[in-house]
Amino acid sequence: MYFAGVDIGSRMTKVVIMNEAILASFVASTGPEQRKLAHKVMEEALAQAGLSFDDITYVVATGYGRINVPFADKQITEISCHARGIGYLLPTARTVIDVGGQDCKAIKVKKGRPVDFVMNDKCAAGTGRFLELMAEGLGVKLEDMGRLSLAAKSKVMISNTCTVFAEQEAVAKLSEGASVEDLLAGIHEAIATRIYSMASRLKIEKDVAITGGGAKNIGLVRALEAKLGYPVLIPPEPLLTGAVGAALLGKDAAQQAMKSGLPLVKSERRLQEAKFFA
Amino acid sequence: MRESNELYFLGVDIGSAFSKAAVLAGGELISYHIIPSGGNYKLTADEVVTGALAKADLSLADIACTVATGYGGSNVSFAHRLITDISCQSRGVFHLFPSVRTVVDIGGQFSRVIKLDDRGRAKAFLMSEKCAGGSGRFLQIIAHVLQIDLKEIGPLSLKSKNKINFNTGCAVFSETEALSRIAEGAATEDILAGVHRALAAKIQNLVERLGIEQDVALTGGGAKDIGLVRSIEDTLKVNTLVPEEPQIVAALGAALIAEDTKNRP
Repeated sequence: MYFAGVDIGSRMTKVVIMNEAILASFVASTGPEQRKLAHKVMEEALAQAGLSFDDITYVVATGYGRINVPFADKQITEISCHARGIGYLLPTARTVIDVGGQDCKAIKVKKGRPVDFVMNDKCAAGTGRFLELMAEGLGVKLEDMGRLSLAAKSKVMISNTCTVFAEQEAVAKLSEGASVEDLLAGIHEAIATRIYSMASRLKIEKDVAITGGGAKNIGLVRALEAKLGYPVLIPPEPLLTGAVGAALLGKDAAQQAMKSGLPLVKSERRLQEAKFFA
Repeated sequence: MRESNELYFLGVDIGSAFSKAAVLAGGELISYHIIPSGGNYKLTADEVVTGALAKADLSLADIACTVATGYGGSNVSFAHRLITDISCQSRGVFHLFPSVRTVVDIGGQFSRVIKLDDRGRAKAFLMSEKCAGGSGRFLQIIAHVLQIDLKEIGPLSLKSKNKINFNTGCAVFSETEALSRIAEGAATEDILAGVHRALAAKIQNLVERLGIEQDVALTGGGAKDIGLVRSIEDTLKVNTLVPEEPQIVAALGAALIAEDTKNRP
């Protein structure tokens, strides 16, 4: 039996196909025009796995755009999917900090289930968007900024919280002669402080896992570790955590249905573009 | 040429986005000048003052007293006094509209609400300086993604029939959201009207924390946007007074304070 998880994030769309293990995965950006294209991303993942859509037993959609996946059998919140995903990928993790493109959440996890969570999706500070805009302002690539920040000689602190004002401040300091590395160190310090203070509204328990695109930024990971005072865990593909959880929750639902003898309610197995938006 | 025995007063407001200078004679405004602040406030101060003086056919030597204010006010090296922008804004509003008790100033980087007493002195104020979503900057960002001129925003937004509801008040997230809505076919005016409402909601929050007292005046660059003015009026459920040139109120107030200083025995 095969299961698919589709995670439509604010910035990235992720699809995972699983049976006992991850068979295929595909990541594409969620641009304004791609919001209709969940089916295309699914087709890619199916091609990679060498499967047809009819082979998929159950499809679960999650993420902020989960409503835009008309071919999903079920929609489940990203909090539940994340908890399930981390329970599978990093079973010792008790706290997950997910740094997404336009949100950030901290989830307390027990046996693959969420116990408590806090999130910010109202303000760009403390989300991946902050890092994107800072990279843009300083003229460095998003994927290089973490590594570059580790070469800093000292931190140039950023006093503004607001992303718009912080970018302005960073650019002004750059023109005053601050080095890109030192500024990046200050920028990672700023976002780590913001995320840590949000996560601290929960009782942070070891092990701590970092997921989402932010986990790919070594500068942010190190800055968060410095706040926590101990190393964190990172899944091999941190972006896929929610999609893996979605596929596994689909598998759970299928097994539950088999056990109870109730039929599994499915959508039509037809890949098409979404015609409604939330 | 002006009469040689007339006294002239100068107010200079170096704001985060725009700098303004106002020249006063006999308690009346005789000229003003507005330029973008740029990166070097000292040069900006010289340039904006030169512009205002030239319009009045005066030189700096003709000025009896100069008061500087604003975010970069300390860069006005030739100023006799540096006064807070709250005091200058209050003085300027009281001069224009003595009945005003609440001033909502929408600047380039922040919004501010000031409560005035019946003699035009600031009793209390609140600022939203931590978030671009509460400032004129939000409008600039949206104007940029929609590729329209800042001046067109107001009139265009009034044509809206179906306001877009933004999910957050964050300027960064709203920019992305605006792009998504455009991709879905939303009309520019509906997006603009949505931005006005989001900004008005932030301002309402600020006003309500301080308590509203009529009359209400709107000042700053934001008050030049008729769509934003209407949206604030709808949200606060009051009519507002808007000066002819809302951007120079603090500079005018600074010049008035310069005059007060000189007239004080």
